[in-house]
Amino acid sequence: MDIYLPIAEVSVNLFLVLGLGLGVGFLSGMFGVGGGFLMTPILIFIGIPPPVAVATQTNQIVASSASGALAHFRRKSLDLKMGLYLLAGGVFGSFAGVQLFAFLQATGQINLVISLCYVGFLGIIGGLMLVESLSALWRRYRLGKAGMPARPRRRKRGLIDALPFKIRFPVSGLYISLIPVIVIGAMVGVLAALMGVGGGFIMVPAMIYVLRMPTSVVIGTSLFQILFVTALTTFLQAAQNQTVDLVLAALLIAGGVIGAQFGARAGQRVRAEELRIALALMVVAVCLKLAWDLVSDPADMFELMHVMESGS
Amino acid sequence: MTARLLIIALLAMLAATAPARAAPEDEIQPTGIVAALTQDVVEIRSNFTGADFLVYGAVTGLQDGDDIVVVVRGPQEDLRVMRKIRTFGIWINRAPVRFENIYGYYAVASTRALSQFATFSALRREAIGMEHLRLSAPETQREETRFGVGGVVVSELGGEVVDYRRAIVRNRAREGLYVESPGGVEIIDGGLFRAAVRLPPVTPVGEYALDIYLFRDGIPIAQRRTSLAVRKAGLEQAVYDFAHRHSALYGLMAVAIALLSGWGAAEVFRRR
Repeated sequence: MDIYLPIAEVSVNLFLVLGLGLGVGFLSGMFGVGGGFLMTPILIFIGIPPPVAVATQTNQIVASSASGALAHFRRKSLDLKMGLYLLAGGVFGSFAGVQLFAFLQATGQINLVISLCYVGFLGIIGGLMLVESLSALWRRYRLGKAGMPARPRRRKRGLIDALPFKIRFPVSGLYISLIPVIVIGAMVGVLAALMGVGGGFIMVPAMIYVLRMPTSVVIGTSLFQILFVTALTTFLQAAQNQTVDLVLAALLIAGGVIGAQFGARAGQRVRAEELRIALALMVVAVCLKLAWDLVSDPADMFELMHVMESGS
Repeated sequence: MTARLLIIALLAMLAATAPARAAPEDEIQPTGIVAALTQDVVEIRSNFTGADFLVYGAVTGLQDGDDIVVVVRGPQEDLRVMRKIRTFGIWINRAPVRFENIYGYYAVASTRALSQFATFSALRREAIGMEHLRLSAPETQREETRFGVGGVVVSELGGEVVDYRRAIVRNRAREGLYVESPGGVEIIDGGLFRAAVRLPPVTPVGEYALDIYLFRDGIPIAQRRTSLAVRKAGLEQAVYDFAHRHSALYGLMAVAIALLSGWGAAEVFRRR
């Protein structure tokens, strides 16, 4: 059964989209990731125009992060002050990202930039995850012979500590400069607008390794930031570019929220390392597919684009 | 079946009006065309996967060797066409050329292949057929005098503009938006004809013009124009209008729906 999407102006198979929403929702619940980095490329593969795919997927992330953010808020497992500063950066990044998006769309390079961003980020993240989880598996395999060597973690004074505008974050027990916090927040805002992702895959490692926040508040704080940044980005994309497709969003949300609940349950029964390897392989596969499309000979050497009336 | 009945009615109408016009010359039967569509409004609703309709009508004074051409021209828009060039190993869109007033839909159906019955100049003048479709890029054009002939349009791109024009036709044809069907017009008997027109799922919204030409001795001797509207309807129309007229409110609603469903789903599953 096909359904015509009013903003995307294409017709898609209803069950395909619902199924994809369920599938990606399931994975996101299982791995505790947003799923935007999988869903946006898939939407583009099935023929949704990239601007609509990105903006609509941002809307879906609002739904998928809402329940998680709420749960962490109730348990108070988040650093609200840190979240607000990250959000300040995120607001700036989101505004800039939506403008950049409109500019790239007008010059005909948006598809290329979206693909390049995905190849770069997915390649790095997927590669690191694969290496990390394989070595964890190797360590567990060898555990019988020798005990786990306790890795001493020296806290080095790095570049981050040298920056000015220091501020105290009591919940995280940190006294750090505002600059990296704002920069990370802004970067995530730009990524949300350009790639239709929540940006958790950038923010969580950044919080742990750059800001050195305690892991207990990292997930809650990142969800808090993602929720508000994606909500703002959705609003801006709808208000400025009219690229949010409510019908597509409703299908993705319906599939996504239900899939995520089952995924979360299934995730508790599977071992962490195997799970991470599976996710890493998936990320690498999407990355390779996108990279292949960039370098292989295109089906047509020309591309037709609608000329946008400016200032509409 | 209703189409056939309508054709008969049309023919009767035509027969009734024909003698009045035929009065001055009694040797040659005057030519005239009446035509109609099985639907003159195509509505895009949520189950839209393209549309099929029939153009049908009657021609008076149809002789052996005459040909009928049906041309459907969709709404015009400006297009940017870019060529992919390999740069540092990846394909990048470069060299944009802006084409103006390009039909979003263009279909030609005829009784035979166009070149078999129509002269080059007639096809060019009426812009019938993919080779005669007007695809102009004003920004790259200038007029020159060549061999003593003024106003010759020359493209700065030289021969390359042909590649761009072909690319437009090829891309549109792939989506079913540009169609040429020799043999697509069927002459049923006497002066009755019909042609099937297919609109693909990506059909643009707007006003469509349908021209029916009667060709004799290589040139069109009669023409009739009718029109068709393609528009969004129902929910599709409502959502589209809402998104464009009240963008901010639409954005807020999109966020609200997402928040409520995310929170709602979590609550529902928590109780279980």
